[in-house]
Amino acid sequence: MNRFSIWRLLPFAVLIIFTAPLLIVLSTLFGSYSENWFHLYEFVLADYIISSLILVIGVSILVLFLGTVTAWTVTTYNFKGKKVFEWALILPLAIPPYILAYTFTGLFDPFGDANNFIRSVFNLKDSTIIFPNVRNIYGAIVVFAFTLYPYVYLVSRSAFINQSKSMQEAARLLGLNQLEVFYKLALPLIRPAAIGGMMLVIMETLSDFGAVDHFAIQTFTTGIFRTWYGLYDLQTAMQLASLLLLTVGIFYFIERSSRGDGIYTSNNSTFSPNEEVNLTGLKALTAFLVCFIPIFIGFLLPIVELSLWAYEVNLGFFNNKFLENSINTLSLSFLTGLICAALALLINFSIRYKPSILVGRFSALLSIGYAVPGLILAVGMVQLLVYLDNLAFSGFDIVLTGSLLGLVLAYVIKTYALANSSIESGYERISHSLDDSSKLLGSTSWNMLGNIHIPLLKTSILTSVLLVMSDVVKELPATLILRPFNFETLAVSTYIYASEERMIQAAAPAIAIVLIGLIPIVLLSKMIRSSRPIENRE
Amino acid sequence: MKKIQLILLLSFFGHVIMSNEVNVYTSRHYDSDDLLYKEFTQETGIKVNIISGKGSALLQRLKSEGSNSPADIFFTVDAGNLWKVQKEGLFQSIQSDLVLSSVPENLRGPNDEWTAIAKRARVIFYNPENVSEEMIKDIDYEDLSNPEWRNKIVVRSSSNMYNQSLVASLISNLGEEQTESWANKLVSNFARKPQGNDRSQIIAVANGEADLAIANSYYIGIMLSGSAGEEQLVAAKKVKMAFPNQKNRGTHINISGAGILKSAPNQKNANRFLEFLISKKVQKTMVDKSYEYPILESIRPSDEIASFGTDFKEDQISVKSFGELNPSAVRLMDRSGWK
Repeated sequence: MNRFSIWRLLPFAVLIIFTAPLLIVLSTLFGSYSENWFHLYEFVLADYIISSLILVIGVSILVLFLGTVTAWTVTTYNFKGKKVFEWALILPLAIPPYILAYTFTGLFDPFGDANNFIRSVFNLKDSTIIFPNVRNIYGAIVVFAFTLYPYVYLVSRSAFINQSKSMQEAARLLGLNQLEVFYKLALPLIRPAAIGGMMLVIMETLSDFGAVDHFAIQTFTTGIFRTWYGLYDLQTAMQLASLLLLTVGIFYFIERSSRGDGIYTSNNSTFSPNEEVNLTGLKALTAFLVCFIPIFIGFLLPIVELSLWAYEVNLGFFNNKFLENSINTLSLSFLTGLICAALALLINFSIRYKPSILVGRFSALLSIGYAVPGLILAVGMVQLLVYLDNLAFSGFDIVLTGSLLGLVLAYVIKTYALANSSIESGYERISHSLDDSSKLLGSTSWNMLGNIHIPLLKTSILTSVLLVMSDVVKELPATLILRPFNFETLAVSTYIYASEERMIQAAAPAIAIVLIGLIPIVLLSKMIRSSRPIENRE
Repeated sequence: MKKIQLILLLSFFGHVIMSNEVNVYTSRHYDSDDLLYKEFTQETGIKVNIISGKGSALLQRLKSEGSNSPADIFFTVDAGNLWKVQKEGLFQSIQSDLVLSSVPENLRGPNDEWTAIAKRARVIFYNPENVSEEMIKDIDYEDLSNPEWRNKIVVRSSSNMYNQSLVASLISNLGEEQTESWANKLVSNFARKPQGNDRSQIIAVANGEADLAIANSYYIGIMLSGSAGEEQLVAAKKVKMAFPNQKNRGTHINISGAGILKSAPNQKNANRFLEFLISKKVQKTMVDKSYEYPILESIRPSDEIASFGTDFKEDQISVKSFGELNPSAVRLMDRSGWK
């Protein structure tokens, strides 16, 4: 038995590395509390909490609605455009919320392009403002929901596909109409998947800085930065960050423990896919709009506005520096994707191979990095690297600090949750009886992993690499602080221009981020097109 | 490609020592600065390595790295950050006679820990179509709290360091109590919830959404240059700039500044770098490209900026008080509801 103890130890070893920078942040909770806490408590803390709460609730409701309804529409019905929508619905993933926020203000501010356009078309007076102000919490809810709903869409769609036809037939026989089948049967059944996707959305929303800062909304994250930059009080800022971390942690564990209720692997031999209902006329139009509107708001609109901006400057941005930044961005994100996928695979395997409640709980902790604001993670990381430098390389120059290693490690910690969620749900679909048979037939752990699981998980592994890549391409705050000398990514150059509100110069790198983010997403959508339940079973 | 791979490989093992270089941590990210650094390398053969980011984040990195830090120069756009590094005792005194003889004393650290490289003024923008010369003449920051400006002023969020520095300078001049009652009234004069950056405020005034905007001087230069697009150029042409407090202490000034770190591995090169930044040639390029005010009296601001007047009175209060009073300023703005 000792031979296999590596599978017991692995999650713990990774956990130590992953949590060290977070523990550095959390350890501030046990430090001293400055008098700034009285000030925060009396004047602003309530604002931070309330607006974060409204944001999270609003975004959750909207993504749940958008994600599940679109997924249901494309899996249940057949209508014109459905084949395109199936994959196009995830395109908004390529748009980081901060870029959608920039383009929203560019369009909908009183003298933004959208208002100007309508005014010039209908020859209206300058004082006529058509679109509502977007620089508020409702604008932010829309921005987050329309860029992040694909997380819910992706998992809901594959869950709907895997629902057996016989179940729905039974429901129809018992007198439910199509709509009732959706919300009384199909929706409750995909609850674990949809909630899993929603948790990613919530974590991303809570840790965002760029979009809420641009809209000047006082959330927890902006409060953290305000305390750090304005009150010069990093200790209090890290304590605030710790509270945010703990809050998210609570959500996270509630979600994890509610998952245990049912096992959703289907090894039913009577499984057969649903037949699609053909739609025509008004119903087809409705289905079309249901799918088109999210893509329009979350993808087409920002692309149009970015293109308008890019058109205003000459094409001088396609220079060496731009190329170098693109290569930096691509190679970093690919490397991170590989590391995350490999780790997630090994860890999920170890949990499966040597099930233990303790290991399971601990490995759930690994995903918490996703919820940490990048800059706070970076601060913890710098302190960790400096400590390691002093420990291992004392007498030498600093080695780890300001190296790509630190940056990649931060990315891995931040995006591991994405890789894990994909591989974990892949594992949930592999029947445990397969493992038992292979054990009975005497295969070793590596054997089982290499010959049985990896071939079955091919899609999940690719998905996890791609999800991680599309997220790393957008990452900004940790990159800013951890990157080596003279090292820029596309997100960094976008930020540099956008922070000066030079949007037309920010447009080029922003478009490049979207384009690079599209590569994984196009591959992902290819897989979506080919992911039919029949193939899943082979 | 080979070269990129090599660089990637090398940077994995951290900072590789090269003999002739200077390492700069900067919170300025202007394209024009990159050109200046290239020029410095051409002139001296010294390579300039850059890490840019928010001032406070860079300071944190400096503090964590301690005596092992590769940084030679800390270069930032806000006096508050310079003061913080100075207070941490991370700067050494600048020894260069050239720097000490050309930069006025109130634009250097108390013990020459840092020096200003360029200046910017926080001024008031107005649209002459909506605001008469009479109303704007001799305006003071203090007047912005008057009821005549009710719902007519736009300014960005109080999270912005330029606003924090302005309020800190008011606390230093007027005391905390008076500044707080000023801020309370100012907030009720806001035309809208603070949003966007300084340019959005100028555009709002140009479009008649508000009468007055508080913003930094150089933004109007960038907008007028046309490099930020047609829309901003049109807006910029509609507005004028007023320098507050000309009849008394002068207009609030902030600086871009730099200092040499105690742990600097390349002290000589760092010194040459600072001397380069305050040289006449570089000062001229800077004011022409980033539209700041020069620190050398012999240099004229860019034409765009000079068109609003060059000989305005500056508030002589030492920039160090911004840093010291910054936390008080933030708390005060929180209390007054300045979002």
